[in-house]
Amino acid sequence: MGLKPVTTPDTEAATIVLNIDGETVTAKEGVSLYDVISSMGKIVPAMCYHYTFDPFGSCGMCLVLQEGKKSPVRSCTAKAAEGMVIRTDGEDLFAARKKAVEKHLSVHPLDCPVCDADGHCELQDMAFEHQVTNLANAKQKNIPEDTRSLVLDFNMNRCIACGECINICKDVQRIDALQFMKKGGFTQVVAKGDHALDCEFCGDCLAVCPVGAITNKFSKYVYKPWQLRKTTTTCTYCGDGCQMYVETKDTEVVRVTSPLSWKNKWGDRGDTVNGHGGLCVRGRFGFQFIDSKDRLKEPLVRNETGLVPTPWIEALDVTAGRLKDIKSRYGSEAIAGLITARCTNEELYVFQRFMRTVLGTNNLDSSARYGHMNFVRAAHHALGINRTMNTSADLTKAKAVLVVGANVTETNPVASLRVKAAIGTYRASVIVVDSMQTNLARLASHPVMVKPGSEGTFVKGLVKSALEQDLIDPDATAQAPEALSALKAAAQAVSLDAVAAETGIPVETIQEAARIFAEAPRSVILCGEGIVRQPDGYNHTLSLVDLAWVTGKLNKPGCGINTFTEEGNEQGAVDMGVAPEFLPGPVSYAQAEARQKFSEAWGATLPDAQSGQSLVEILADCRAGKIKALYLVGENPLGTLPKSFGVEEALSHLELLICQDPFLTETAQYAHVVFPACTFAEKDGTVTNQEGMVQFLRPALDPLGESALDWHIMVGLANGMGHSLPYEDTQDIQAEIRKVLPGYYNLGEPRPVVADAGAYLRNGYADSVRARYANGRTQESGRPYGLKLIQLIYHSGKLSTKASGLMDISPNTGALRMSLEECERLGLAEGGRVRVTSDQGSLELGVQADVNVLPGTCAFPEHFNEPPVKDLVRVAVDPVTRVPYFKSARVTIEKI
Amino acid sequence: MDTQKQTTRLLDAVLFREIWKAMKVTFKHMFHRPMTFQYPREKRTIPDAHRGALGLLRYDNGQERCVGCDLCEAACPSRCIKVISEEDKSLPLQRYATEFYIDITKCVFCGYCVEACPVNALAMTKMYEYSTHDKRTLMFDKQRLYEIGEKHLEDAKKYLYAHNQEQDDEESRAYRYHFPQPIGKTGASGS
Repeated sequence: MGLKPVTTPDTEAATIVLNIDGETVTAKEGVSLYDVISSMGKIVPAMCYHYTFDPFGSCGMCLVLQEGKKSPVRSCTAKAAEGMVIRTDGEDLFAARKKAVEKHLSVHPLDCPVCDADGHCELQDMAFEHQVTNLANAKQKNIPEDTRSLVLDFNMNRCIACGECINICKDVQRIDALQFMKKGGFTQVVAKGDHALDCEFCGDCLAVCPVGAITNKFSKYVYKPWQLRKTTTTCTYCGDGCQMYVETKDTEVVRVTSPLSWKNKWGDRGDTVNGHGGLCVRGRFGFQFIDSKDRLKEPLVRNETGLVPTPWIEALDVTAGRLKDIKSRYGSEAIAGLITARCTNEELYVFQRFMRTVLGTNNLDSSARYGHMNFVRAAHHALGINRTMNTSADLTKAKAVLVVGANVTETNPVASLRVKAAIGTYRASVIVVDSMQTNLARLASHPVMVKPGSEGTFVKGLVKSALEQDLIDPDATAQAPEALSALKAAAQAVSLDAVAAETGIPVETIQEAARIFAEAPRSVILCGEGIVRQPDGYNHTLSLVDLAWVTGKLNKPGCGINTFTEEGNEQGAVDMGVAPEFLPGPVSYAQAEARQKFSEAWGATLPDAQSGQSLVEILADCRAGKIKALYLVGENPLGTLPKSFGVEEALSHLELLICQDPFLTETAQYAHVVFPACTFAEKDGTVTNQEGMVQFLRPALDPLGESALDWHIMVGLANGMGHSLPYEDTQDIQAEIRKVLPGYYNLGEPRPVVADAGAYLRNGYADSVRARYANGRTQESGRPYGLKLIQLIYHSGKLSTKASGLMDISPNTGALRMSLEECERLGLAEGGRVRVTSDQGSLELGVQADVNVLPGTCAFPEHFNEPPVKDLVRVAVDPVTRVPYFKSARVTIEKI
Repeated sequence: MDTQKQTTRLLDAVLFREIWKAMKVTFKHMFHRPMTFQYPREKRTIPDAHRGALGLLRYDNGQERCVGCDLCEAACPSRCIKVISEEDKSLPLQRYATEFYIDITKCVFCGYCVEACPVNALAMTKMYEYSTHDKRTLMFDKQRLYEIGEKHLEDAKKYLYAHNQEQDDEESRAYRYHFPQPIGKTGASGS
């Protein structure tokens, strides 16, 4: 409909003056009248309106009287115009609205007592507000309930045809999975084509449904809204950091709801650049792991018979004693620790302090090492910053977005809506470079489907093309002319034809992509796992910096380089210094000034500046017998890394393996001591999202059984070792973080970062750039297929496999995903089996056709390891950042 | 004065006047209807509108009336009701209460829960004898409430009648909630 001026941000709409209820109001021309009225603070009832999409105008509630017109007009679909005189209140309008409510109620079943929306229903509220007490001519639709979907039930008897579900799916999610259909004499909402609903299951339709027409299968009939305790907390499944409400009854989680709801329908469409308040399938339906039966409830200590439940005091005492013993016998260097980035900032902070001051070792790492560290290290090295550069508003309003190797709709579904809004609402050119047919690629103006593993080469091609077409920004490059000539010289090694051959993309497309990116006034780069988790991730990120720099997109407002993180608090893990190369801040671990500051703050000397091993080396040292004790907090290397990496052997050499996890993971089964930890829903603290916003976690439940907060356990261990860490509650830790990192919390707002590439470009750039571009082609193996370990939207790491709801939606099919063409070519009907062989071994498994997979590629979800497809992959390690790469391999596929 | 007084006292003593005076009351009571009920051998007739122990009711075919809607819990001023509901696994889309508790020690017998009940599953009965040595038995669970409802079905129906909630079995059926059928049941295309 295009009613809102915000959809064309570059042109300023004219200001108009109108009169509403005797008040003179100014507004932008073309805005819906309803928006103007609500911006005055007046609330006119409306059941089909929501600020996140264009007005629909079906409910007939938002009636107002316009001078000069006899009958009331619907304010939502009426455009505000100069000189309008509007009345929003009065008995006649009340009667007209009451009539509209009665019309809806006359075909609405009065089944409120069994309806899940009872007490949270707009029609109920409206009937009450307008005093509808008697209905003449009520009739029932008697439509059977559509329970075919795995997640949502559609009871079309209750539907008021407001279209909110359809509109949010179309305008905000851009999935368009729902439609109106005339069936049995009534207009009903059905899944596209009247099949079982099969979509991303974000549940936004459920959130905006003002009645109980769409209900949640996972909590059907088990609650009434007034029985639930609502806790506002932050989702830790991915780095988006969505706010959500965990609704609990006694000790169980009943459902998760989002700030997006029909209840808060008033807002400015323009505000959606900061998010629309919704959740994705993981956040909304993946809560069952919190009160899962598999949760650990008491500490376990290994004796001759195996892991036996032990009281906390004894378990802590035994562990502390053995840590002390190992420290005295082998020295601090023989101890190492790994922590998951799903922990809070406070826990990450206490962890690194515990490791560095109590155990005296710098062998510590977090799961940010699996990829995000590539981006952080590259940004730290080149730009002097440690996180993404842009806010979600920048991303939404960009004119060109270059999405490289980031299947963001799957990994970060809510943040991906910003790119979708850029495409749909703000008409940005989006270049999607990926080796999968991603959802974003379908929507993008320029989908570029490269061969697997060649995303980095394509980026080099873009740099080369930008230099060749003279798309160089003179202002940006003027400060470092030597660097520019060095880059030009280095790029001689790259030929566009070779890039085209390697990526499978014609030269013209590369040239066009470079032109679009360079010529747009606001261009944003978004890179993801296809860059940072693939070999040479660090160098490829630096190539992206080159691209942004030469085209002048590094320091202009609204431009920048960004990444999205996989786990909830990877950015927090970096900021809290949980890496051997960083101290909290993050500042370089070797920096003398920072070392001085922290050793004073902690009252202890820090381990040697040159010491410290990261994830890969820690496991290698375990294997070599150099590390004797390993402390794992929520980490499960045995489940995460391929078998060829020898984690099992590494663990078997340990004298003490401490696992701290809510579940008994594969690794924990090898442990000597297992501490039961809490999930995010029981924690108090903060997490930092990928944008740098520090957001709160609030406990929705008491810790299950005897499980304890991670930092409590660390403080307990420290006490057992005779060091006291001065924390009694989370606020104590926060106070210390505030002291050592002033302004870190920043009231939950992301602190602005300024990228400064000056020092990087002037010092040593010339030498490094030559080496980077001289990198030859990856050697061809004889194996024709690229195997990718992919992330699914329905899962996040291994954690989501403990959520029964997500497992219902997306169980492990145990099948290799291949494109239809390849399936046909190999003569594989659905259900056929293949033998997949890589250099690491071979495996037999089923095949399923997947439209997202490109020919020449096959994929398997990384969340599952049954059959162990992951073990076909060899681990490569980045020479600079020590990031392990194990997401892709070359394989041969034979039909059996 | 003294002599007269002494004579009266003598006569009282000789004629046992005080005894007779007392016996008068006794004899009068011999012809009077007794005031005291010989509880528990004898029981009072209780009016139909009496608010006694709560019971849960079933339909004639034995199906539970309660749909677990929790409105009684919401209406209860002393917060003595707890309802836990679920989808009936054997009958898709049917809602029922898996657990239902009334803490009768907290109950103030206001009858609001009965009034709130949309399917007239709750009713008050004339039962008031549930004193016990063990206070824990005064937490009536679903089974106990159905037992009470079954045992005092007639009283419960009279209660609903007295409170203008329902008139007869015919009307109780009119209150019954009919759940929708799942689409799969009537054919995949859902005609």
